[in-house]
Amino acid sequence: SDEFWFDPNEKGLALRSVNSSRSAYACVFFSSMFFQHYCWTAEPELCQKKRQSPLTCKLIMKSVLPVFRCLNTLERNVEKCNIYTNVNDCHITFKLFCKHGIIKTHNLAFHESEPLQAVFSRHMCPNVLKIQSRLLTDVMIHFPTCQEEVTVAVTPMKVCFKSYTEEEIDFSKAMHTKIHLNPDEFDYFQIGVDSEVTFCLKELRGLLAFAEATSATVSVHFDVSGKPIAFSIEDMMVEASFVLATLADIENRESSQQSLCLSQRQKRQKITDLISSKKKSQEYCVCTTTHFIKYCIFQFHSLFFGAVSFKEQDVISHTLHSLATASDAEDDFDNEQLSHVV
Amino acid sequence: MRFRAKIVDVACLNHFTRVINTIAKLAKTCTLRLTVDKLYFILTDKVANGGVSMWCELSQGNFFDEFQMEGVAAEHNEIYLELTPENLSRALKTAQNAKTVKIKLTNKHCPCLTVAVELPSLSSSSRIVTHDIPVGVIPRRLWNDFREPSVPDFDVSIYLPVLKTMKSVVERMKNLSNCIVLEANLNGEMNLKIETDLVSVTTHFKGLGNPPWVSEDGSQNSTQDRDPESMAEARIDIRKLLQLLAGQQVNPTKALCNIVSKRIVHFILLHEEVSLQYFIPALA
Repeated sequence: SDEFWFDPNEKGLALRSVNSSRSAYACVFFSSMFFQHYCWTAEPELCQKKRQSPLTCKLIMKSVLPVFRCLNTLERNVEKCNIYTNVNDCHITFKLFCKHGIIKTHNLAFHESEPLQAVFSRHMCPNVLKIQSRLLTDVMIHFPTCQEEVTVAVTPMKVCFKSYTEEEIDFSKAMHTKIHLNPDEFDYFQIGVDSEVTFCLKELRGLLAFAEATSATVSVHFDVSGKPIAFSIEDMMVEASFVLATLADIENRESSQQSLCLSQRQKRQKITDLISSKKKSQEYCVCTTTHFIKYCIFQFHSLFFGAVSFKEQDVISHTLHSLATASDAEDDFDNEQLSHVV
Repeated sequence: MRFRAKIVDVACLNHFTRVINTIAKLAKTCTLRLTVDKLYFILTDKVANGGVSMWCELSQGNFFDEFQMEGVAAEHNEIYLELTPENLSRALKTAQNAKTVKIKLTNKHCPCLTVAVELPSLSSSSRIVTHDIPVGVIPRRLWNDFREPSVPDFDVSIYLPVLKTMKSVVERMKNLSNCIVLEANLNGEMNLKIETDLVSVTTHFKGLGNPPWVSEDGSQNSTQDRDPESMAEARIDIRKLLQLLAGQQVNPTKALCNIVSKRIVHFILLHEEVSLQYFIPALA
């Protein structure tokens, strides 16, 4: 999907996206504390219209990415970034205050849309691993960049990441890579059920890059094959999570992707045709930043949605959101994050 | 048929990786010949390669700490494998800080060269990464196809200029033409020429020196009778030349080429532990 959900609410700003085959979902939530100034208000008169949902803006990914494209330039030139929305004329404005008095203003049109949320409860997963992002990257580095899918096989005694090749590809041509890890390399290791789940590595690389930039611990929640796997990072101000569909393993080792359920509002729609990763054409674009800089914008593919559920009190209709400002000033962030800046 | 080898020294691993990287740049698939003392990477002059052939020889003792090989039969104590060097290159790429690297011939779902890398880790046991690279076993009846090519009866033999310089010259020429003329004489002069309808560019190298060759019967080579000013030339595919030059990761100890006028250019690059011969045929 080329779309990008921009969801400001009282507590902070959520950025979400999903891929066209609905087999990967990502959400990055910036708490209001991440920003130097965060203000989210509602116009009281619109409450009367009894809008059921808070405003969610859907943007085209391609128009957002160029705003934050060149990380080095951003780091060097931009002093402040203001973001504000004007519901009346359906625009989100990104205003970058750069050096030498230059101000770059980007006005992006949005569509109002239903919010996007994956139905997935992490606390229901029997298998939970927590691993340093550095270590996870060190593991994934052994897979060639063209490797699409990776299987993680776990038992309470060991963990193994291995490359996955689809049956149609000639086994005698492809190289297979396996990495064995010791449970004590993980910060937290809980395996409730032995399982082997296969997910799309490409989708994950965005999160890995982000994780490395923030030196965070990555939590992995999963179940048996066919059930989704979630990779998440949490720290004081930002929470990011990627939920990926996994291949369902049928007895005679034929794999087929499990159909995932899509639902918006209360309706459940079945996705019957999940494109296999081989056919996905993925234009993979990651623009990562540390807290010190600006935003992390990922492009995700493959996801599934679940019912959107939001509490009634969030349902305040509003027109004008005012400034949500992120700045790269030192006073925002603790010193340890400053050290990430190269 | 068995093969097991181990590298423990970081410098050896590094060097071996660089050799593999060079081979990977020169050939998509090639033949790996294993004998008790040596490893050979061979590419034969099939039409599919554009007539290019390669012969690269390494002494195993310079790289491996342990090397055990049992060939197909006692009288033919060798193993010939068909392999994609790019896979080996990829497997070694992330192994540079390994404690040990073991390479062995295994039979998983098909014959494989398994590269097992033992990496240092924070936990008590090392992290093991294994790569299974599928290979094809070449039957003995085909071994004759992979004999060492003989040095051709060349017209001129000359040392090459500094490869880095040569590479940057050829790189720029590549944008102008697909063919390049390589000519040299016994006076240590070499020219690289391209000629198109619009432009012709020539780069002249002087003072290169000509290696002394002694022919088998001990007498001086017949090229001694040749006029030292006279150029021997061959028109070759510029991309093949660039492949050879660009693939070099380390400067060779000796680099020379033998030109058979209008037929073939034979390049010889010698490093301390590795020798590489590369043949590029002349274009019609």
